[in-house]
Amino acid sequence: MTENEMTSNESTEPTPTTETAASSPDPSGDPLIDQSIDVEGTDATAGETGKPVIESRDLNVFYGETQALQGIDLAIPEKQVTAMIGPSGCGKSTFLRCINRMNDLIDAARVDGDLYFEGKNVYDDDVDPVALRRRIGMVFQHPNPFPKSIYDNVAYGLRIQDQTENLDEKVETALKRAALWDEVKDKLDKSALDLSGGQQQRLCIARAIAVDPDVILMDEPASALDPIATSKIEDLIEELAEEFTVVIVTHNMQQAARISDKTAVFLTGGELVEFDDTDKIFENPDSQRVEDYITGKFG
Amino acid sequence: MATREPETGWHGENSDVNHLRGRAFEATCLAATAFGLVSVLLLLLFVANDAFRPFSADAGWLATYAATVLVPLAVLAVYYYRLDEPAGEVAYVTSGLPVVGLLLTGGFAVLFIELLSVLEWFALLISLVVAAGLIVAHGRLRPKAALERLGVVLLTPIITVFGLPPTRFNWFVTDMAAALGLDFGLYYRVISLREAIMMLPFVPTDWVMLILTLVLPVAGVAGWFVEQRRESRRDGLAVVGVTTAAAVLGVVAGPLLGIGTDVWLLLVTFAALPLGVYVEGVLRRGEGVRGLAFPVVAVVGVAAGAVVTGALGFAGPDPWLDWGFLTSATSRTAADAGIYPAMVGSVMMIIVIVLTTFPVGVGAAIYLEEYAPSQGLTGKFVTLIEINIGNLAGVPSVVYGLLGLALFIRVLQWPQGSVIVAGLAVGLLILPIVIISAQEAIRSVPDSFRQASYGMGATRWQTIRQVVLPEALPGILTGTILALGRAIGETAPLLMIGAAASVRLAPNSFFDVASMMPRQIFSWSSELDPAFRHGVLAAGVITLLAVLLVMNATAIVIRNRYQRTG
Repeated sequence: MTENEMTSNESTEPTPTTETAASSPDPSGDPLIDQSIDVEGTDATAGETGKPVIESRDLNVFYGETQALQGIDLAIPEKQVTAMIGPSGCGKSTFLRCINRMNDLIDAARVDGDLYFEGKNVYDDDVDPVALRRRIGMVFQHPNPFPKSIYDNVAYGLRIQDQTENLDEKVETALKRAALWDEVKDKLDKSALDLSGGQQQRLCIARAIAVDPDVILMDEPASALDPIATSKIEDLIEELAEEFTVVIVTHNMQQAARISDKTAVFLTGGELVEFDDTDKIFENPDSQRVEDYITGKFG
Repeated sequence: MATREPETGWHGENSDVNHLRGRAFEATCLAATAFGLVSVLLLLLFVANDAFRPFSADAGWLATYAATVLVPLAVLAVYYYRLDEPAGEVAYVTSGLPVVGLLLTGGFAVLFIELLSVLEWFALLISLVVAAGLIVAHGRLRPKAALERLGVVLLTPIITVFGLPPTRFNWFVTDMAAALGLDFGLYYRVISLREAIMMLPFVPTDWVMLILTLVLPVAGVAGWFVEQRRESRRDGLAVVGVTTAAAVLGVVAGPLLGIGTDVWLLLVTFAALPLGVYVEGVLRRGEGVRGLAFPVVAVVGVAAGAVVTGALGFAGPDPWLDWGFLTSATSRTAADAGIYPAMVGSVMMIIVIVLTTFPVGVGAAIYLEEYAPSQGLTGKFVTLIEINIGNLAGVPSVVYGLLGLALFIRVLQWPQGSVIVAGLAVGLLILPIVIISAQEAIRSVPDSFRQASYGMGATRWQTIRQVVLPEALPGILTGTILALGRAIGETAPLLMIGAAASVRLAPNSFFDVASMMPRQIFSWSSELDPAFRHGVLAAGVITLLAVLLVMNATAIVIRNRYQRTG
């Protein structure tokens, strides 16, 4: 996947040059082996993976008078890890929060443009953001477990969504998938705040995946953690990508290079400068600005 | 910069740093603090001296009690302080728990004497339990019907407690019943479960009802608590069993000891049960066992002092604040005057305030913090409202009294000076304070919790109900209790709504004319007899301050527990 044609995907509108809505036919998640070149509409090798599940078209976001995102066109493929990198204040977190409409909670934020989730514009009037967020889970920068027991934390989403059959089983499954079960199985009724930062973040991931969403958004999930905890989270993210579509915002370029299949580079002013396969971005970016950013000349 | 002489150096007294202004400022601040504290302390000592009159006692009496109580307790306190064990804390708790227990016992005893019969209490509690059961059952049967549930939650308690008002539907029901020969004697309204229980031809005796509705629930909670802490079901059941046994024993033995059955049951529930659980825990852990000596020494010392002073014929002090003062009504003679009816009036006023102001204030705070928009024209309007709530908190209390007079007495024609009018007027006065403190508490819930909840796909209601309120509740309670402390001391609104200057009988209903503690104290201040102005007045002030202290201590305990867990 070192080469990738600039194509527009079937369902995407023709887009500016900064956008590459290519689908990646790569179920194994190993980018070095795969060499296929996308041809429009043929996804035979990919099966279900690689089909765009989230697409934004000319998405603009304003905080009051300030424009935080400028005409973003982006298609995020299913069951892959898509990373968003860029300097502080470039709008990558804003974009992430547009996907599950968390920006609705900020009174000053105004979103203009279209964002499709499974073919439905989530900013249509008939979309309930609560229903949307039940399909799109989120993990935040700082671990934010509720001041409840470990069990209640994981069960929270299941309870509010009335999925209370086999609750114990579902909690156990979620904790196992988040690679936390062995560490907490004997203290499920203890407060989640007694866990270490890394454990808390994995608990937050368990909480997010317990309700079996389609997409998991991660807003710098490892930035507040030490290197060991970070590597555990990274391993976990790669595993999660087998079942979920993962979108991750990160400040850490090595992290993006390690775990993601696709990378979007946002630069100051809220514009999406380049979006492509991760290897392409890190090895041979089209844009000089992206190259400067990645090699550390600015940002 | 000039070169410094090597011998002066850059450090020490000759350096360039000038501390003079800083030290002077620190000293001024200390002086201000000391002045404030000392003045308040002197005032309190002055009032306490008037109320208790310790120096009216014989010198021998004072010396005896100093020797039997004060000195041993002081020695023990120093000993605990130097000990590493948590003996001091044990001593503190074992001395404090009985006091709190006795206060609660007294409160409930007054409740049963003045406000409700045990049967009324029983009927009220049973109907509330039935209402709660119906609500839970509805939740199980129809978990999805949210709007229906709102109706059930709001209406069920009202129907079980108050019944259905006379409506056309009820005319139909009662007419039909009468036509069928089922004459309940209640035309045009359906009676509530509470009234039905009270009309039962056969009811259990008082002590059975008290054990069912007071002893067993409290013992059950304590047992559950012990079970959680020790992870032993047997211990939890033991707590419930021993408490029930002690309660039943008292029913048999109480009359022999001259203690009323009701009082015995209350004592077992509120004083003996918590103390027993705590002492048993201390003995089991074996930490700070020596602290248990403190209350024992106190009791033995008081008893020994009584024996010695009795034998030697030393006369005790003649305090204004004594048992008689707390239990009798005011009188023309200072020696017989008491504060009991005014205390009951104050407590009933607080009940009215809690029932009205707490839901309204907390509801307003939740709306303003969680729902109200912050942007645009409506956002500006909300800001205006918030500013004005702040202003309302500063409106003089006499104005609220005037508002109460106009609204409740002139417009609604409620009886002048009644408990409900006093409660509502003073409740309006503290409403802004409750709103502001509840807002503070809600605002202090980290936004990351809300984000996490919304990110999970929770609705606003679910987020508030399951995340925000549990976190904010201790803060809300602390603020509310402090506001209630202000309410209980307010005098001006009571004067405006015509609370009685002096009443001989405690109020029996919320529409009775009553006096409250500050109002009673104000009347005593204008009595001609100097004994009233110096002695009775001081006793009343100390009583009021003691109530305030207990309320503030409760607020502090809640806040500390919250900080420990949070």
